[in-house]
Amino acid sequence: MNLKKQFTEGLITNNPVLVQRIGLCSTMAITTMFFNGIGMGLSVLIILTCCNVVISAMRKAIPNDIRLAMFVVVIAGFVTIVDLLLQAFVPALSASLGVFIPLIVVNCIIIGRAEAFCQKEPVVPSFFDGIFQGIGYTLVLLCMCIIRELLGSGTFGAGVFEIVDGSFRAVLDGSAAGIRIFPEEFGATIMIMPFGGFLTLACLLAAMQYALRKSAEKKEAAARAAKVEVVKEAAE
Amino acid sequence: MFDSVLTIALGAILINNFIFSQFLGCCPFLGCSTKIDTALGMGLAVTFVMGLASAICYAVNMLLIALELEYMSTLAFILVIAVLVQFVEMFLKKSVPSLYTALGIFLPLITTNCAVLGVVLLNVQNNYNFIESVVYGITGGLGFLVAIVLFASVRDRLQFADYPESFDGFPIALVTAGLLALAFMGFSGMKIG
Amino acid sequence: MAETKRAPNQIVKLALVLFLVSAIVSGVLGVVNMFTKDRIAELEAQARAEAYNAVLPWDGEYVNVEYDKEAFETVDAIAQAGDEGWVVELTFSGAQSSITAAFGVAADYTITGASVISHAETSGLGAKIVEEGFLSSFVGQSEGMAVTKDGGTVDSITAATISSRAMANAANTAIAAVKALG
Repeated sequence: MNLKKQFTEGLITNNPVLVQRIGLCSTMAITTMFFNGIGMGLSVLIILTCCNVVISAMRKAIPNDIRLAMFVVVIAGFVTIVDLLLQAFVPALSASLGVFIPLIVVNCIIIGRAEAFCQKEPVVPSFFDGIFQGIGYTLVLLCMCIIRELLGSGTFGAGVFEIVDGSFRAVLDGSAAGIRIFPEEFGATIMIMPFGGFLTLACLLAAMQYALRKSAEKKEAAARAAKVEVVKEAAE
Repeated sequence: MFDSVLTIALGAILINNFIFSQFLGCCPFLGCSTKIDTALGMGLAVTFVMGLASAICYAVNMLLIALELEYMSTLAFILVIAVLVQFVEMFLKKSVPSLYTALGIFLPLITTNCAVLGVVLLNVQNNYNFIESVVYGITGGLGFLVAIVLFASVRDRLQFADYPESFDGFPIALVTAGLLALAFMGFSGMKIG
Repeated sequence: MAETKRAPNQIVKLALVLFLVSAIVSGVLGVVNMFTKDRIAELEAQARAEAYNAVLPWDGEYVNVEYDKEAFETVDAIAQAGDEGWVVELTFSGAQSSITAAFGVAADYTITGASVISHAETSGLGAKIVEEGFLSSFVGQSEGMAVTKDGGTVDSITAATISSRAMANAANTAIAAVKALG
């Protein structure tokens, strides 16, 4: 078990959205305001962690032939529980995300992690895998939300943060107006529309590819330099 | 009656296209759209399953309401879809083997296509009756088909395009999809009657 | 996978395992539902009551009245608030989804207020129909409303013309439905 490795994998090197490229539908669909992003991210994080633990605990009892059906049943169960709890305690979030909450059932991140990780690994690593992958997903959602909301309507943190009478305030019911960075008329509404979703995600993915390539090149250069060093030393 | 069906059909194919305006079914959309043939196959299979799933889940939902078990709907729907996809696979294998070989590898993927579960959930949310549900299911699938075939044809030409290296692969595909979404926004003012 | 002939008891075992897991999940869901059901219903009733009170303040009870369901398909309910007027609740399609809204109609057939009970419009765009600035532009209007973009007097929301238009049409229907009560 290697916590640090799992942490970097979930957040960066094996990020579910930016590297594994799964769960794209919800990433583009709901990231129009901060409140949605954080709500969706946390919901997926909770569901993913619970499913990972349960599936990992049952991994020896699940017959291989029907494992996908079993995964789906377990995931659908947790999704419905979260859905009911949100309806009862955070109705604003439930209204705002609408059909995308039950659609977490078919979010490839959860079934993908179950298939790729939990059916082989013990409970504890699976638990941390759920947490870190969930955080990785949430971070991407938040990035998308912040970019789209800022460019689209000129605010930051709509639904969660606001400044009332000069004092900063954070609420959890989605009623906050957000911190205005520039007047709404100057916003590019297109960023909130579907086109903005595609474009923002494309830019994030491109940035990630650029960063990964650069770091690979750097490693390669370092390896080459080390090799040259060794050869030199041997020659001497 | 006819009016409302036409409105639903037009809305599902053009105005509120499943991919370009609702982001339902993006994973297969981006994954299976490198060739026009495979895109067509995937689109047809999804249309078929969406129509069938809408019809069956309408009945299932009625049953759940009668039993006051509405909270079980997500679980019931996803199981119905999984079983349905399995049956379609078996049926095609036995009776239309040519179609089966054409669609073969896509069929199991449809279970986790969010467009299928999405259409069923939207049917319930919008209170559609049986005919409206089926029409929404089929036309939603057709919208997916139109989108994925258009996208595959554009993607074909991407190899001749000159773009920054970092955008290679997925990112440039997403930009393309975004431009198509922009084009589809032109339909948003359309109205029947 | 389906082709390989399996011993029948193997299939029975698989079915049993799947059934068992489904049964456990259903049981857990049932328990969670028991705890949340009342609260969800309560919140819904509360949202409705708040909406009614916002569009047409009235201390007494809102009494549901009969109306022509055939002619006004989108109308869910009409409630009378004494001599003050009526509250009309409608479900109609917006840009992305169906919207449920309440409109207060005064005795002189003008709108006293508008409120959205539930909707699933795109957040940041169509979802702005819930904002006070938009809803208050309905107050005092009478039949024949249209959004400013169509030359009317109801503020249309930037980039959400379809949702705003749907709201204006619904307000017209609300007045027509009340007029038809006679």
